[in-house]
Amino acid sequence: MSAVAAKPAAGGAMNPTAMGVGIVILLILVGACYYIAPFDSRMMVLSVLIGIILGGVLIGFGVHFVPVGGAPAAMGQAPGIATGVAMLAAGGGLAGLFGGAWAAEQGTVVAVVTGGIGGGLMMAITCMMVNFIYVFGMGIPAASGKVKNDPITGDSQAEFKSQGTEGHGLPFISFVGGVIGGLLAGAGGTLIYLMLLDLYKATLPTMMQATETQILPIAISMAGMFAVGMFLVNSVLTAYNITGTIEGPHDPKFKRWPRSVVASAVASALCGVVAILIVVM
Amino acid sequence: MTVKVEVVEGGVPHTTIMAAGLIVSLICLYLSYLNVITGKEWFSFFGGLAVVAALIWGSHTIKVLCSYGIGTGVPSAGMISFGSGVIAMLLATKFGLAAPIVALVLAAVIGLILGYLSNEVLNMKIPAMVQSLTELAVVGAFTLMGFAVMIGGGFTFATLTTGSITILGLSLPSYQASFLGGCLIAVAFLLGAIAIQHPFNACLGPGWTQDRMLMLTAECGFLSMIMAAVMSFALVPAGAALISLIIGIIGWAYSYTKYFELSKRDAAAWLDAKPIPDVEGH
Amino acid sequence: MENIVFGIGITALTGALATVAGAAEDTESNIGSQGDPNSQVQLAPQMGFLHRIFNKAVAGEPPAYGLWCCLGAGLAWALMAMQINAVLAIVLGCILAVFVQGVYATTAYLGRTASLKKFGQPVFVDVLKSMTTVTMAHAFVAIFCTVTLCYLMNAALGHPFPLPLLGLVWGISLGAAGSAVGNPYYGKERQYQNQKFGAGVPISASGNIVRYAEAGERNSLDNGFFTAKLGGPASGVCFGLIVFLELWRTILFEHIAAGWGAIIVGILMILIFTIIDRYIEVWARKTYGPYTKPEEASS
Repeated sequence: MSAVAAKPAAGGAMNPTAMGVGIVILLILVGACYYIAPFDSRMMVLSVLIGIILGGVLIGFGVHFVPVGGAPAAMGQAPGIATGVAMLAAGGGLAGLFGGAWAAEQGTVVAVVTGGIGGGLMMAITCMMVNFIYVFGMGIPAASGKVKNDPITGDSQAEFKSQGTEGHGLPFISFVGGVIGGLLAGAGGTLIYLMLLDLYKATLPTMMQATETQILPIAISMAGMFAVGMFLVNSVLTAYNITGTIEGPHDPKFKRWPRSVVASAVASALCGVVAILIVVM
Repeated sequence: MTVKVEVVEGGVPHTTIMAAGLIVSLICLYLSYLNVITGKEWFSFFGGLAVVAALIWGSHTIKVLCSYGIGTGVPSAGMISFGSGVIAMLLATKFGLAAPIVALVLAAVIGLILGYLSNEVLNMKIPAMVQSLTELAVVGAFTLMGFAVMIGGGFTFATLTTGSITILGLSLPSYQASFLGGCLIAVAFLLGAIAIQHPFNACLGPGWTQDRMLMLTAECGFLSMIMAAVMSFALVPAGAALISLIIGIIGWAYSYTKYFELSKRDAAAWLDAKPIPDVEGH
Repeated sequence: MENIVFGIGITALTGALATVAGAAEDTESNIGSQGDPNSQVQLAPQMGFLHRIFNKAVAGEPPAYGLWCCLGAGLAWALMAMQINAVLAIVLGCILAVFVQGVYATTAYLGRTASLKKFGQPVFVDVLKSMTTVTMAHAFVAIFCTVTLCYLMNAALGHPFPLPLLGLVWGISLGAAGSAVGNPYYGKERQYQNQKFGAGVPISASGNIVRYAEAGERNSLDNGFFTAKLGGPASGVCFGLIVFLELWRTILFEHIAAGWGAIIVGILMILIFTIIDRYIEVWARKTYGPYTKPEEASS
C-alpha cells in the first residue's frame, strides 16, 4: 500500500550544480530580455525585470517564515496553522497586494511598504485568532516540538506539549515568523504588480493606439493577473521546497531557503520575461 | 497520518490520453477561428470543447504526478499549472492565427524549466516531475485559451481587449467591457485550476478507477462551460452564447448522470437512510 | 470631510459583511467537512471506523472559496455589463456560484466514498440529500457577503481592481482566514470529542473520530451545530478584523504624510496584535500549567 516508486527522500541537500545551472538560466533570460527590447527602453525594461525577480524572491523567501502544520495541526498534533502553505501564503500576500494596489499612485516605495504591512497585518490577526481558539476554545497552550526553548522569549516548550503529539498552537516564534512571512510576501507581490503596471501604462497606449486612461483597465487587469499567477507559482515552489509543513523560522527545514531563492529567481525571471515580451516585441 | 495514495494499473495508457487531449484541444481551438472567417461568433462553443479535452488530459497528468507522493497535496499542482499557463497564454494571443501553437511551445518551455527547478534545484527527484509539469503548463494555457475563445469570441489580443458598452442605446467601444479589461481571465483561471485537480482529488483512494475519474473531469469541464457561457452573454451576441449554454447543459447533464452510475457501480454499498454497518472490532 | 465619513460608513458595512461571511464560511466548511480536518474523515474507514460524515474533498478552503467568490463576482460583473441592476446581478451571480459549489460537493462525496470500497464504507444517499442543501445555504451567505463587499470596495471606495479580481483576492483570503481559525476547532474539539479536553490528539488515536454521539449516529449537521458556537464566530471576527482594519487605516490615514500615515498605523496595529497574542500565550501557560504525568495508564 504505497506510492508507485519509492521516492528517494528529498532531504535538505543542496545541489550546487543544479543551482549553478539555474543561475546561468537566470542570466541568459535577463540578457535576452535586454537585447530584445528596443534600444531606448532597455534600461526601463531591465529595471522592470530586476524588480519582478526581486518580488519573486521576496515571495519565495517569505513563505518559509509562515508556520504551517497541515492536517496534523487540525487535530492539535503539530504546531502551525492548519491550512496548505501555498494558499495560506497566497491569502496573506493577496490581502497585501490589495492594499498595495490601492496605494499605487503614491509612489513605488510607499505602495510596496503598504502592501507588506497589509500582508503582515492579515497574518498577525490570523495568527492571534488561531492562538485564541487553541487557548480559549480548546484549552491547549502553544508548544513547539522542534526546539527546547522559544528562541525569542526563552519559554520552555517540552512540558507544555501534550503526550503523543509533536506540539500544537503557535509559539511566539511561529507568530513572529507568520507576520514576517506576510510582510515579505505582500511586499513581493505588490512589487511585481507595480513593475508590470508601470510598464504597461507606458507601452500599451502606443501598442493599442489609445490614451492612457482608456487602456488603464487592461493594464491593471493584466498586471494583477500576472501578479496572482507568479504569486502562486512561487508559493507552490516554496511548498515543494519545504515538503508541505514547516513550524517557522526555528524549524531545521528553514535552512533550505537558498534552494528556494534560486528557484524563485529563475521562475520569476522566466515569467517576467514573458510578461514583458507582450508589450516589447 | 495522511491519505494513502495508491496506483491502480490498467486502463488507457497516459500517452494515449495525452495525445488525444492535445490534438482534440488544438483542433477545437482552430475550429473556433471560423468566427473570424465567417464574421459571426457562433463557433465560440468550440472553445468550451477545447477546455473539456484539455482538462481530461490534465487531470490524468495530475494523477500520474501525484501518485508519487509529492508531499504537498493535489491542489498545488493545479495552481502551478495555471500559474504558468496564464503567462504563456497571454503572450501567445499576440500571434494571431498561430496563437495556439505558440501557446503550446511557450507553455512547454516554461513547464520544462519549472520541472527542472523542482526536480534538481529543490531536490524533489520525482521521475515524472519534469514531463508532468511541462504537460500541466500546456494544459493550463490551452484551457485558458479555450475559455477566452468562449467568453470573448476569439484568441487574439485585439479581440480579448475590446468590447462595447451601450449607453442610451448607442454602442460605444470600451476597453473595460472586455475579457481582459474586466479581468474575467481571473474567473477562467480559478475555474480551470479547481476543475483540473478536482477529479483526482475527489476519486482518491484505493478504489480509484480511471473511467470514473475521466467522467468526473468531463463533468467538471462542462459545468465550467455552463458558467462561462453565462458570462459570455455580456461579450458575444446572445445567439452564440445560447448555443454554448445549451451544449454545456447537455454535456453536463449527461456526464453527471453517468458519474452517478459509475459511482454506484464502484461503491461498497449504496444505502439510503440506513445505520452504520457493523465492522468487526469497532 | 464628507468623503471620509462616507468612506468610514462603507468600511463599517464591509467589516460587518466580512464578519458574517467568515462565520458562514467556517460553518459551511465544517458541515461539509472540507480542508485539513477532512483527512481524518477520509482516514477513519481505513482504520475500520465507518461513519456518516459528509466527505467533501474539494481542494482546500482558500482555493475553493477563491473560486466561488471569483465566479460569483465574474457572473455579477457580466450581468452588470448587460445593464442589469447591481443588487440583482450580485444575487443572481451568487446563486449560480452556489449551484457550482453544490455540484462539486456531491461529486467529491461520491468520488471519495466510492474509492473507499475496499474498507466497506457505504455511500449514504440520504446524507447526500440532506447535507448538500445545507452547505449550499451557508455557502450562499458567505459568497454573497464577500461579493457584496468586493463590489462596495470597487464602486463606493474606488479600488482600481475590477470586480472579478477583487473576488479572487478576498475569496482566497476568506478561505485562508476561516480555515486557519476554524479548522483546529472542528478537527480537534468536535471530531475527536471523545479525547481528553485540553490536549492535542495523540498520534495513536488517528482515525478514531466520533461516530456515535448525543443524537444517535453523528452526522455533519451535528458538527455544524457545535462549531457554529465558537469556531464560526471566531473565524468571522478574524476575517472581519482583517477587512475592517485594512480599509479603516487606509481611508483615515492615507493622506497623512503622503501615505506613510497609513503605514505607521498599520505597524502599530501589528504591534498591538503581537502584544495581545503574547498575553494569550502567557495566560495559557500560567493558568493551565504544564502537563503532568498520568498516575495510571490512560485509556
